[in-house]
Amino acid sequence: MDRNLLGYKGIKPTLAAVLLLTLVQSGSIVLLARWLAEVLSALFAGEPLHTQYNKLTMFLGAFLVRHIMGFIQQKISYAFAERTGASLRQQTLEKLFRLGPRFAKQEGTGNLVTLVLEGTSKFRNYLELIVPRMAGMSIIPWVILVYIFMQDITSGIILILSMPILIVFMILIGLAARKHTEKQLDSYRTLSNHFVDSLRGLETLKLLGQSRSHSDTIARVSDRYRSATMRTLRVAFLSSFALDFFTMLSVAVVAVGLGLRLVNGDLALVTGLTVLILAPEYFLPVRMVGSDFHATLDGKEAGAAMQQIIDEPLQEEAAAENAGLEKKELNWTKDSRLQLSGVGVQHQEEGPHSLNEVTLDIRGMGKIGIIGASGAGKSTLIDVLGGFLKPSAGSMELDGRRMSSLTTDAWRRLTTYIPQHPYIFSSTLADNIRFYAPDAANSEVEHAVAAAGLSELAHGLPLGAEEIIGNGGRQLSGGQAQRVALARAFLSDRPVMLLDEPTAHLDIETEYELKQTMLRLFENKLVFLATHRLHWMPDMDLIIVLDQGRVAEIGTHEELLARRGAYYELIQSQREGA
Amino acid sequence: MRHEGWLLPYVRTYWGRFLIIIALGCLTLLTASMLMFTSGFLISKAALRPENILMVYVPIVLVRTFGIGRAVVHYVERLVSHDAVLRIVALMRTRLYRILEPQALFISSRFRTGDMLGVLSDDIQYLQDVYLRTVFPSVVALVMYIGSIAALGWFDVRFALFMALYVFILVAVLPWVSLLLTKAKSRLSKQQRSRLYTRLTDAVLGMSDWVISGRQSQFLAAYEAEEREAARVNGQLKRWARWRQLIGQAVIGLSVITMTVWAAREYAGGHIPATLIAAFVLVVFPIMDAFMPVSDAMEKIPSYQSSLQRLREIEAAAGEYGGNGSTAAGISLEEVRRLAASDVHLKVQNVSFRYDDASPWSLQDVSLDLPQGKRIAIIGRSGAGKSTLLKLIEGALAPSAGTVSLSGVDASAIGERMPQLVSVLNQSPHLFDTTVANNIRLGDRDAEDDQIRRAAAQVKLDRLIESLPLGYRTPMHETGQRFSGGERQRIALARVLLQNNPVVVLDEPTVGLDPRTEKELLATILETMQGKSLIWVTHHLVGAEHMDEIIFMENGRVEMRGSHAELMAASERYRNLYRLDRPEAFMVK
Repeated sequence: MDRNLLGYKGIKPTLAAVLLLTLVQSGSIVLLARWLAEVLSALFAGEPLHTQYNKLTMFLGAFLVRHIMGFIQQKISYAFAERTGASLRQQTLEKLFRLGPRFAKQEGTGNLVTLVLEGTSKFRNYLELIVPRMAGMSIIPWVILVYIFMQDITSGIILILSMPILIVFMILIGLAARKHTEKQLDSYRTLSNHFVDSLRGLETLKLLGQSRSHSDTIARVSDRYRSATMRTLRVAFLSSFALDFFTMLSVAVVAVGLGLRLVNGDLALVTGLTVLILAPEYFLPVRMVGSDFHATLDGKEAGAAMQQIIDEPLQEEAAAENAGLEKKELNWTKDSRLQLSGVGVQHQEEGPHSLNEVTLDIRGMGKIGIIGASGAGKSTLIDVLGGFLKPSAGSMELDGRRMSSLTTDAWRRLTTYIPQHPYIFSSTLADNIRFYAPDAANSEVEHAVAAAGLSELAHGLPLGAEEIIGNGGRQLSGGQAQRVALARAFLSDRPVMLLDEPTAHLDIETEYELKQTMLRLFENKLVFLATHRLHWMPDMDLIIVLDQGRVAEIGTHEELLARRGAYYELIQSQREGA
Repeated sequence: MRHEGWLLPYVRTYWGRFLIIIALGCLTLLTASMLMFTSGFLISKAALRPENILMVYVPIVLVRTFGIGRAVVHYVERLVSHDAVLRIVALMRTRLYRILEPQALFISSRFRTGDMLGVLSDDIQYLQDVYLRTVFPSVVALVMYIGSIAALGWFDVRFALFMALYVFILVAVLPWVSLLLTKAKSRLSKQQRSRLYTRLTDAVLGMSDWVISGRQSQFLAAYEAEEREAARVNGQLKRWARWRQLIGQAVIGLSVITMTVWAAREYAGGHIPATLIAAFVLVVFPIMDAFMPVSDAMEKIPSYQSSLQRLREIEAAAGEYGGNGSTAAGISLEEVRRLAASDVHLKVQNVSFRYDDASPWSLQDVSLDLPQGKRIAIIGRSGAGKSTLLKLIEGALAPSAGTVSLSGVDASAIGERMPQLVSVLNQSPHLFDTTVANNIRLGDRDAEDDQIRRAAAQVKLDRLIESLPLGYRTPMHETGQRFSGGERQRIALARVLLQNNPVVVLDEPTVGLDPRTEKELLATILETMQGKSLIWVTHHLVGAEHMDEIIFMENGRVEMRGSHAELMAASERYRNLYRLDRPEAFMVK
């Protein structure tokens, strides 16, 4: 059983209500069996039908009560499951935003989206099933059993004995099936992925001239997949076979036993019929648990996975430390000053430093280039400066205020961030540009469109700036996406801009044009531009050269060239490489 | 294209199996029902206290048989039905593959949204349910319906007709009402889910933007509102499912009463013996249980629609575009081999291309001349016509005007056999979920192990591969973490080496790699491609000095061409671009 289950809010009243309903339900099951048996045996004894109308109505009443109880149970469990699932999802989402983009990248976007969407519905399904199943298992068989014992001890003994046998067999077969599946999991995984793998690699196969003959491979592998699946199913279905087999067999044994004792005259017909009607009902709760087993297991795991995200330790500032800062508005003007002293980032303890002992002193507006070989820590420094990442060592000072990191909303409100592949939301072009400033007027958006060099694109679209772009809409080229991000930044009018390798993947002509646009937009801002493209450097006011997480050199292009140090070597190495 | 459905043809193919499955399904229900029937009979008979125990011997045996039989038959039925459905899946897969295969080179440009291929593969997986959850249970219920009514008719035709009408509520009315009531809602629910999916993807992929903009709470509020709306619709569906269940049960309860009344009257009239009263009444429960799943099966129908729709559209689109993909090779295998064995002279003469008369020109008047061993670079922004030009050279498209020929043979005539003349290394070559060695062997299926090792050594991967615990037999999916972008390209390059073709097309293989990796990979490519003709589509000028000709394309035309030295001397624009790309040459004297 799930230990978390009792911790969910509102579980206690739900469980209490469901238990009560189940109790009423088991009573009505006993009564309906009894009354139907009485009617049948009376008719059998030759009593006229009209004397039985009362009993028949009572049977129908009990029958309906039983199902109405089930109806209410489902309603209550659904409401509880829906509430709890929604609150778990909400907590997970909130936590995801607080953990930030780094965590999302690490976990994989697809995984997270599936977990939040599919996971919630699986978890909801689990809750919806588990509450009535638990209640059913813990009440119905025992009430029925007690009643049967009161009627006919022999049948009671048969039933009470068959339950543990049934459960033991189910568990044994379940374990055997799992072992069997695990043993061939690897080859099974390959077989089941083969088709989608082939489709994704179709272009490659075609280019290699192998695509035609591969269709026979598809047929062959699909056939092997079928055999492998059937081998697994033969074992997997055994556990429900065992369930079926022992249930039906017990019912049959009970029936035959009843018959024999009736022949001997040890038993009244009405008792025999009651027990016969009750016998399948005795097993019904177990069978339902068995048939929902996989669905509940999936849901339980999904719930645990989400709980794990919620329990993930936060990298953010301690709340107390934050509280003071959040109140005060931060600002960045030409007189502002940001100091980093001894800042280091280590993703794992004992692991390598992504940043080590970084000390910087940044004043006012200006363009700052961050350069270095790949793996030198350029992106990590941008993440620290953008407030996505809390350094594991060192401290910072912003206009004389000490803080251990920049991961505060107050700082983030001053910044815009343009990554290598800016994300385009599936929304209109105008709304994408308005992202940082949702209330901006159309005229302001138009101005941003013009400034970012998007006018031509916007005029070319059938609906202009109202055209849907992004996933499910019109796809933009890499250069166009960068321009949308630039327009976003321009419209937001925030004083600090962070760019991480914004042009490296673009074709040279697009890069050339984009550079001219960017340089214009960089005026009167504090810009951090991390790149390995050297051509940016002469346009920068200050260059930070990183090497293996450390600041190797700081200075202007001319100063660094004259010094013939790390920067000079970097240039030389790129020159020789080609 | 033939308009064949995705469901019916398989029923035709496997009708024998289908019959067996239906028969087994009915038998499962029959044994369960007969267990209750004979039990009821046995007990009643025993209550008459027959002189001899042998009088109840037959029912005793039957009760035991049915008790054991139901589990066995059900087990067999499940296996047989899954087996048949998996056979169908295999056929569907081959069919989908054959539909997609001719247009393989156009898939990425045609389905830009997300992972269309993954979706299609899931669709086929999902269509299993059509048979397992809808067709089989419904047909079984129908057969049981007819069977049990017929059996009842044997006793009393009028009552049988009455029950037929009554049970019709369960078998047809309730499912039909259910389908009618939920159709629109399930569709709405599905749309809501896909919208939530898009929103959530936007949230996770664009998280840095949400965080920086400080609009997280705004997003969460909007998202939760949509989730609530989806939950409301879902709740309505659930509510109907509960009501349907309750109505169904009420019908069952009433039919038990009806049956009791009828059996009592029949007995009173002397038409049936007393021993059958309990039997008739008890059998109602298991039989009615067979009809309950029909509503559920019917409600599922709308959920198959989108999968079927997608598959149909793909098939229709394949028919439409079929003409573009060259199908039959015009020349024999021997001729292609002969061509590949000697020097190949690739000529593109005044080629223009547009998809149809109404669309704008994708390429206009482009000419290339590549005697064996010449290396050219093609540069241009996206949409300049580079990919179209490559497709013409690969023979996947036929020019609207002009000719593409290899040593005088028309490219479209070579068609399917082109991979034996021209190799392609593109931006994201697929590494298949098999061993490292098998991935390399895709270049030449008959390659010996030492040839593979030699190819790996040439692309400088031998040390890395040999350091893996399983060496060349390491499964690729386990190396997903270990192989970087550059290393993956090297595996693809090893394939190209095994192909050993005279002409090689490099379609931006270095995009997304960091400069160091890019330079190293480029050096390896140039080193291993000695003597081969190279057509290198690139986005910048690294390595341009090593090319015999550099071609700048814009809007489907050649804007500028010449060797590096010529362009440096003659073109201001080229000098600007080169300075942007290789500033170090100007920075350090």
